[in-house]
Formats: sequence, C-alpha cells, structure tokens
Amino acid sequence: MNEVHDDLDAPAPGSISFGLWKRIIGTALEDRRSAVQLVGGGIGIAAIESARPLLNAAMIDEAIAHGMGERFMWLAGAWAVLALCFGAGVFLFIRAAGRISAGLAFTLRERAFARLQELQFGYFDRRPTGWLVSRVTSDCGKVSGIAPWVILDTFWATTIVSGSAACMLWLDWHVAVWMILLLPVLAALAVLFQSRLLKSSRLVRRTNSRITAFLSEGIAGVRTTKSLAREGAADAELAVLTTEMEVHSMRNSFQSAVFVPVVTSASFLGVAIALWRGGLRVETGEMSPGTLVALMQYALLFTWPIIDVSQRVVDLLSAQAAAERVQSLIDTVPTIHDSDAVRAQADDFNAARITRITFENVSFEYVAGEPVLSDFSLEARVGDTIAFVGPTGAGKSTVVNLAARFYEPTAGRILLDGVDMRERPLAWHQGRFGVVQQSPWLRNTSILENIRYGRLDATDEEVKAAAAAVGADSFVDGLEGGWGFVAGEAGERLSLGQRQLIALARAFLKDPDVFILDEATSSVDSETERTIQRAVDRVLAHRISFVIAHRLSTIRRATRIVMVDGGRIVESGTHAELMRARGKYHDLYAQQFVEMRERAVLDVHG
Amino acid sequence: MTDIPKRQPSFALGRLGDLWIVLGTDRPLYAGAIAVQALAATFSYVVPLVPQAVIDGVFSAPGTRMGAMSAWIIEKLGGAEVVRADLWKPGVVIAVAAVAAGLLNVLRGWMTARAAQRSVRRLRERVHARLVRLPVPFFDANESGDLLQRATSDVDTVQNVLANQIAEMGRAILLLLIAIPLMFAIDWRMAIASTVLAIPVVAFAGLYFRTVSDRFRTKDEAEGRLTAKAQENIAGIRVVRAFGRQSFEREEFRERNAAHRDADVRLFDGLSQFWALSDVTCLAQILVVLVVGLTLVSGGSLGAGEFFFFLFATNMYIWPIRHLGRMLADLGKAAVATERLHAIMDPAAEDAGDEVRHEVRGEAAGGASRSASDNVPAHAVLPAGGIRFEGVRFAYPRGNTVLDGVDLTVGAGETVAIMGPSGCGKSTLAALLLRFHEPTSGRITIGGTDIRSLNRSLLRSRIASVLQPPFLYSRSIRENVAIVRPELPVAAIAEAADSAAIHDSVLRFQRGWETVIGERGITLSGGQRQRLAIARALVRDADILLLDDALSAVDGDTERRILNAMRARRGRVPTIVIAHRLSTLAEADRIVVMEHGRVIDHGTHAELIARDGLYKRLWAIQAELEDEERVAVASDGEAPR
Repeated sequence: MNEVHDDLDAPAPGSISFGLWKRIIGTALEDRRSAVQLVGGGIGIAAIESARPLLNAAMIDEAIAHGMGERFMWLAGAWAVLALCFGAGVFLFIRAAGRISAGLAFTLRERAFARLQELQFGYFDRRPTGWLVSRVTSDCGKVSGIAPWVILDTFWATTIVSGSAACMLWLDWHVAVWMILLLPVLAALAVLFQSRLLKSSRLVRRTNSRITAFLSEGIAGVRTTKSLAREGAADAELAVLTTEMEVHSMRNSFQSAVFVPVVTSASFLGVAIALWRGGLRVETGEMSPGTLVALMQYALLFTWPIIDVSQRVVDLLSAQAAAERVQSLIDTVPTIHDSDAVRAQADDFNAARITRITFENVSFEYVAGEPVLSDFSLEARVGDTIAFVGPTGAGKSTVVNLAARFYEPTAGRILLDGVDMRERPLAWHQGRFGVVQQSPWLRNTSILENIRYGRLDATDEEVKAAAAAVGADSFVDGLEGGWGFVAGEAGERLSLGQRQLIALARAFLKDPDVFILDEATSSVDSETERTIQRAVDRVLAHRISFVIAHRLSTIRRATRIVMVDGGRIVESGTHAELMRARGKYHDLYAQQFVEMRERAVLDVHG
Repeated sequence: MTDIPKRQPSFALGRLGDLWIVLGTDRPLYAGAIAVQALAATFSYVVPLVPQAVIDGVFSAPGTRMGAMSAWIIEKLGGAEVVRADLWKPGVVIAVAAVAAGLLNVLRGWMTARAAQRSVRRLRERVHARLVRLPVPFFDANESGDLLQRATSDVDTVQNVLANQIAEMGRAILLLLIAIPLMFAIDWRMAIASTVLAIPVVAFAGLYFRTVSDRFRTKDEAEGRLTAKAQENIAGIRVVRAFGRQSFEREEFRERNAAHRDADVRLFDGLSQFWALSDVTCLAQILVVLVVGLTLVSGGSLGAGEFFFFLFATNMYIWPIRHLGRMLADLGKAAVATERLHAIMDPAAEDAGDEVRHEVRGEAAGGASRSASDNVPAHAVLPAGGIRFEGVRFAYPRGNTVLDGVDLTVGAGETVAIMGPSGCGKSTLAALLLRFHEPTSGRITIGGTDIRSLNRSLLRSRIASVLQPPFLYSRSIRENVAIVRPELPVAAIAEAADSAAIHDSVLRFQRGWETVIGERGITLSGGQRQRLAIARALVRDADILLLDDALSAVDGDTERRILNAMRARRGRVPTIVIAHRLSTLAEADRIVVMEHGRVIDHGTHAELIARDGLYKRLWAIQAELEDEERVAVASDGEAPR
C-alpha cells in the first residue's frame, strides 16, 4: 500500500531523467558478458527479421522464374538456418536479460541494504518500516525489471527500423520512400496512446488503492460498523469509489484494448501504399512480384518496434520515481559517522570499556525549533541504575538514544570516560551497548540462535547458561522443539513476557558496558512478572544501566530516579527522597501503583 | 488463506462459469463485443485478399490460375483492365478495410471495457455489501488479511480477465477461426499446410506454462524471504546497531538476495527456452507455407497471389496464438480467484432478526431475507424497560464455554458495572447484547422482549456502545464523532466531545475538527481514541448505554469528568459499564462480579466492601498505597538492590 501511495502522490514525471537512468543502466551493464549477449541477441534477431522478407522475395522470384530447382532449395535451407539463428538469438537475449535484471536487482539491493546499516536513526524516524522495506524490495525490483528491456529494445528497434528501411530502399526506393513516410504517423499514434495510458493507469491505481484502504478499514472495523448499524452507509460510500473506478478503468482498458489493433490497422495502410505504388512498377516490369510481396511485409514490420519503444518510454517514466528513491537511498551520506582521525585509530579501542557517561548541558531537537531535551546534565558510572520516569513525550527515550549515539546532541556534549563520544569509533561505542525494547525485537530463528545474536561465537552451553541466568530457560522446555523452537516473524509465536526474557538473555550473553531497558507498559501475568524482575536485576547489575521504567519494583531499586518533563529534569533522587518530597514523582508513583495493583488483582494483561 | 489454500493457477476451469454470472445484465454487450471482434478480424483479412486478387488477376500472365474469390474481387473492382489502369483502387479498398478493422476494434474495445468494468463495479459492491453483513463469528474465524486479499486482488484478477485476457484470447482465436474457412475456400492443400503447426504451438505453450509456473513460485517464495529479512532488519535496526551486527545482517541479507537472484535467473532461463522454441516453431510454420506454396505455384496449381495471401495470413494469426498458453494459465488464475470469492459470497449474511416471531409494536421485521442494515424507521425505539440476561450460556463453536449460566438484571435507568478477571466472560455479555453472537442457551430480553425478535439494526442503533479496542475510521475527527448523524451541527458535536473530555485536545490539533486520523502520521493516544469513541456514542440518541472497558486508558480525573457528564446528559437509561478500575466501578448503582463465566457476587459498593472478594481486594489497594508511601518515606538513603 505504502509503495503505491508514494508513486501516486508524486506528480507524474513529465520527462525522462537521463542522468539518473544513465547511472542505473551503467550499473546494469557491469555484467559485461550478459550485456554483450543481450545487445548481440537483440541486434541479431532484428537483422534476421529485417532480412526475412528479402529472402522470401528471393524464394518467390526464384520459384516463379526457375521453378523448384537446387537454387530454391539452397534458399529454403538458408531460411531454415536463419530461423534457427533467430531462435538462438531469442534464447540468448532472454537469458541475458534475466541475468542482467536479476544481477541489477541484486546489486541495488546490496547497496541499499548496506546503506541502511550505516544511516543514522533520524533517517528511520521519519520513514515507516514498511516504506523502507519497499525501497529495498519493490522499488529495486521495479527498476531492475525494466532495465534490460530498455537496453534491448533500444538496439532491437533501432536495428529493425533502420534495417527494414535500408532493405526497402535497396529493393525499390521509389516505393520505399512513400512507406517510410508512414513511420512518423505510427510513432505519433503510439505516443498519443501511451501518454493517455500512463495517465489513466495512474488514476486506476490511485482509485484502486483507495478502494483497498476502504475495504481494509471495513474489515478491521466491522464490529464497530455493525454496532453503529451503518452497513448501508458504508455501501453508499463504497459506491462512490467504485463508480469512480469504473470510469477510470473503463478508459484505461479501452485504451489498452485498442492500442495494438489500431496501430496494426494503421500499418495496413502501408500495405495499401505498397500495393498501389509497387503495383504500378510491377505493371511496368520495373519490379518483380517477389519484391512487391516483400515490401508489403515490411509495411507490417514497423509496427512492433514502434509499439515496444513507446512502451519502454512509459516504463521508464513510471519507474522513474522508484529509481529516484533507490538511487537517493544509496547516495545518502550518514550524518553520524566516524571522522577520519577516529577511523585511523579505530583498532585501539577493541578492548576498551565504558565506565562513565556524562551528559554536559545537552540539548536536542528532532525538528529544528522544537527542542525535546534542553540543557540536560547527568553523570552515570558503573553500578548505577538510572530510572527515567515521566509522561509520554517528556524526552526519556531521547536521553537513552543520545547515550547510544543513535542521535547526536544539537548542543552540549556527551563524554565517555571524559572524552567526547565523537572522538571514539561509532562501531565500538554502539557495540558496548545492550538494548531491550518494550516489545523486544526477535529474529525469525530458533531460541538458541536468537540468544546467540548477543555474542556470535558463544557455544550452545554459554547460550543456555545465559538463558538460565535470567530464568529464560524455564519456558523453553515447554515449547515444541525446545531450544530449536522458531520464534516466528518478529517473535510473534512467543508471548510478550517470553520475548522479554529472550531479549534479556541475549543482552546478558553480550555482557555490555551500558545497558538500556525500555520496560513494557503492558503487564504480563504475575508469575512471568516475577521472573522478568529477577532477570532485570541480574542484567542491570555491575554496569551502567538506563531504564525507561514502568515497573514499580524497577523504579524503587534504581540508584537514581530522574523525573523528566518537557525535556528537562524536574526531580531527581532516590525513591525515598522523592516520595518524601511529595512532588510530581509522588503523584505519578501513586497513580501507577494503583493501576498496577488493580490489574494484578484482576489479572488483566495488555 | 485459512480454509482455502492459495493455489497455483491450474487448468481447473470449472469455476469459469462464475465469470458469466459476474457479467449479469452486461452479457449481451459482452457477447456483442465478441461478434464485433469477429467482424474486425474478417476485415483484417481483406487486407491480404485484395493484393491476392490483384497479383493473380492483373499482374500474372494471362491464363494463370485465378481463384473464384480473386475473380470476384477483380470483377467488383471493375475488371482487370480498370484495375490495371487505376491501381489506387485496390489500395483504397485496403485502406478502407484497414480503417474499418481499426474502427471495429475501437468499438469492440469500448464494448468490452464497458461490460467488464460495469460488471466488476457491481461485483465490488456486492462483495462489500456481503462482507459487512456477514455475522461476527465469520470474522473471528477468518484472518482479515486473507479476507482483504479476496475482496481486492481476487476481484482485480476477475477484472483483468474480463477486461483484457478474454478479449486478447478472443482476438487470437478468432483470427485463426476466420482464417481457416477462408483458407479452405481458396486452397485446401495450402490451408492444411498453413495450420499444421498451429495446434502444436498452442499445446506447447500451454504445457510449457505449467512447468514455468513452478519457477515463478520459487521466485515469489525467494522474494518473500528476502522481504522478510529486510523487514526484520529495519524493524530491529536499534538492536542490530547495539549488538554491532551490521556485517552479520548484511551477510544474511546477501544469502537471500543471492537466492532470489538465482531463482530469477532460472525463471528467465525457462522463459528463454520457451520463447526460443515457440519462435522457431512459428517460423517453421511460415517456412512450410513458403516451400509448399511456392512448390504449388511453380507447378501452376496455385496462383502467386493466393500464395501471398497464405503467407500474409499465417503471419497474422501464428504470432498471437502462441500467447494462448499463457492466457489459459491466466484463466486458471481467474478460476481460482472466483473460487476464493465464494468464501465471502457463500456464507449466509446476518439476518434481520425475526427468528422468534414476536409482535414488537408493529415493528416486526420483514422476511428472513432482509439484511441487517435494512433501514430502520427513524421513529423506531426499543421496548421500554430494563435488560435481563436469563440463564445465558455461550460457547464458541469447538471452543470452551465462556458463559456458564448468567442471570443478570439491569433495571430501567440503572447503571450496572461488571468486573472480573480476564477471560471471565464480561465482554462476551456485551457481544451478546449487540447480537454479534447468539447465546447457546438462555435468552436476553429488553423490556421483556427477546432480543432475537428485534431487528438487528434497530437493536444496535438504539444501543450507544463503546467497544474495546475503540475503532476510529480514517477520516476527520468531526466525521468520526458524527458518523451516525452526519447532519449534526458542529456545536452539537463539540458538546458531545466536551462530555467525553476530548474537546480541548481536538482544538489543540493544527486542523482541529478537520484533523484526519491516520493521515500524515497523525496518531492518537489510546486515551484519546477511547474518548473520541465515547463522544461518538454520545451523539447518538440511544435507549441503552454500553461501555466495554471504555475508560481504561484515561486518567482518574478525566474519567470522573466523563462519568459525571454522561450521567447529566443522558438522563437515566439502562447502562452497562465493563471495567477493572475501582474508580469507575464505584460510580455504578450496582456492581456485578464475574468469574469463570458466572456471576459470583453483586451488590452496591458499600455491600461489596463489607465482604471478602475481588471487589474488596481492589478496595484494599488504596490502603496498600498508603503503607507503601510510609515505607518509602521511612527508608533512608540507598534503595535496596
């Protein structure tokens, strides 16, 4: 859906962006061997197609003049050989086109994916996951799907048009000139149709995606629609869309249904011209009947190159938006990256640890002029567990994202053991962090492999030990296949509590210097709750821990609670200190306490 | 995808009759289009017929063999001498035939498009009408993604087949079918020689597309795995970075990327074999015409013009018919698509609700065929009085018992709160009251009338309900709140919004009431959604109020404001509030405690806190909080670790 919308929201490109396509076609042609086969095959079959009427003419004239002699058999043999060569050419160019398109898709995807691994988080914030996935998958597919055919048809059509024209002129230029005059008429017809088709098909796709969205909403909200008893109103709303759809697709399918037959009919006019002008010359004996037949066949040979080339132009126009998106993703330079000086000494840091993180008057804004963090200062040392509390949007996540250098401060600085973090290698820095998210991200592999992601060279025993340390092993035996149980897409085959335990085991196995925990807002059953709490305690100890806290027990045990509101620290201290102060923290705590207990009593999850 | 597996296109065309049904009243138009297509194809053959006559009748040496058709054409053109003198004449005839064929094709295109698109519009509307009227259990049993796919891409497939594929097939077949009698009329030997390879071409194409469809599937699967990897990586980019796993991820992606590339290459290898072989076969057919034809011409038993006709005609039909194999495969897809649509069209829709014939003040619903959304007269009201659940049991088909004999009365004007642990069946009570499901046994009455005898639309439109989770439509906030009464002035909407404590939040949005939900990243918090759903329920002039966990995401103060405002607005209609928060529950006239599908306790707030039970435990939380505060304040310095 997303991808469709992107295409449709952008205005239709008016002209082909040659610079862009030159780069993409250049990438496609990196596979030299296939490129040669593609172009060679295309030119080859075009040459054969242009020569075939000529050979037909020779056979006809030979048969009429001398009967079915040896010479005729030679010509027929040559014809058969050409037919086989034609087959070989077709075989070759389709194979090559497949290799070029698959190879181009492969390369574009590699580059786009690699770039995504380097880009700063700000890039991901403004782009939904589905949108980015479409860039790597369908956009690359669309661009690479048309590239070989654009290359092929350029050569094929040029050869066939110029080859046929040359043959016709050679056969009889008096007649040929008249027929070649038809070429611009055919081209104009094709352009006329294609530009209309391009427009109407965009309208069809746009309306279609609106219908899909409407139906999708209708299914998702069917209970609400029923409870409001507005099924009939929904019918009427859909009818507006379907009527619009009927109008657009009526136009579109009409245009596409008549395009080829109309161009074909127009090229029949060429046959008429050939018969009229050529007939006169046959009559006077200036032309053989075979030549006349050949000229009439050439009249039809112009049709497909014209249709195909106009089709490629439309392909280029309709894939241009996709090509631009892919190319601009590949060309995007990450804003957070190592300076040259840092890169030179990157290896010195492999073993270094982070023991102290200092925020010095840090400010940050995602959007210029809308600060989410202002003049924020904080120091955390090994052994500290800092719990961030406060309302949604207060800036809690921003603090931890800055600590992990997912973003860089817009003012102020963050020091790692006294050194500005921008003077340290990014990969090293981020590699020292462990993260457990609200709804933990798991890979669609076994439990064992999911935990091993924390340290790739860990043995099965080490993985299982890590799981045991956080109590994640308790439920594994109950799963089908035990450690081999596959978590499903985004871990959907596991419960939220189980996912959190696996994520904790994964972080524990990694043994990071700095640990970031974003606690889930929705609760799990009390048994799991206790297991998770023990696991969290285990993981938080002996390192710097930042917790976006929701669990009261976690908050209570933090060495320091930082209450953030409006991008500033409004209260800070231990639980006891803050409770005594009876400020904002006190109220928030009381509210959460009641909420949690109520849910616990009624065992409400979610 | 649950009950009918997504099948590969096959040649099981049994369901194609459905396409005829889909065409409905447009059948004559569609059939007419095929007739016009035949006419257009006939005119196309005039193009080679005229040169045939001219070559044999005018250019050839006197005494050369000339067919009857050629002789007729030359005669109509004014005889050989006239044609010889005015060679533009046959040219004009060709031009006229070409233009006529073109125009007929235009007409055919218009007729097909109109018939197909009108039918598909009706199909879309029928699918939607049926979909929204299917009973709620249908939606419990089917995945929404699957239903959506049936309602959209399967309909698109039908559209494509009707609008394009059948027309293309018709063109290919008609070109061949019209050529055959013409060819036999001219020369039966040449007719056989010209079509001898046509059948193999079609059969080969058909067979081949079955094989290549495997490779299409392999490629699609590889693409699915590639997409899944990209999706996984991007969704988990934070973890990837924190674990420094970029190169690991790139390696995994490369594997799948390479697998997809290889599948793609294999597919194209298959296609290259197909097109190469079929092109060679088509060329072989032309060579047969050349050799046989010229042999006959040099033997004097075939006119040179006649030979020209066969050569030209063969070129006209042989290339289109090799697409027939692919078209047949596409028809297979259409058969699968219509079969999949049956999953939506076949199940019975919700009936209007008169299974138990009952006189409801002249409001008896019409026949059982009437659908749930048949217009309810504006003046219609529910029977006055309270709500009674009498021995209500409910179990999902092949599922656990959810309600195990619930007896519950909500007096006229009484507010009853229902509480209980997750899975106790409290939300099912709401679903039964709205007739989303029917009780397995027992009955529910309103003012003494069994709700099964009430028109479903009437029943639902007289119950102002807020369901969990609240669902909002992706349109403006104003339209959402006023969805059942679009004519409502903004002032009335604002009043309802004010009661639901959402008015101020709405005004803070940049576009206020016209803010479109879900557009350009506009998302609402859970509490905001709940409050809008409440406002939507409040604008409705209803006889019963039903709130299913409708205040769970709003804070305590807001909650109190909403409850008070609702009471003031609505007067006293029977109200059911399902909740788990003490502050909500305590506001009710009476509290019902449920567990394991039964009512285990009920009473007023004062009664329930006087005896042990779930409610008392909720009440005790307040005391626990005070203890907690004392402990916290008393403990000094470092918190325990």
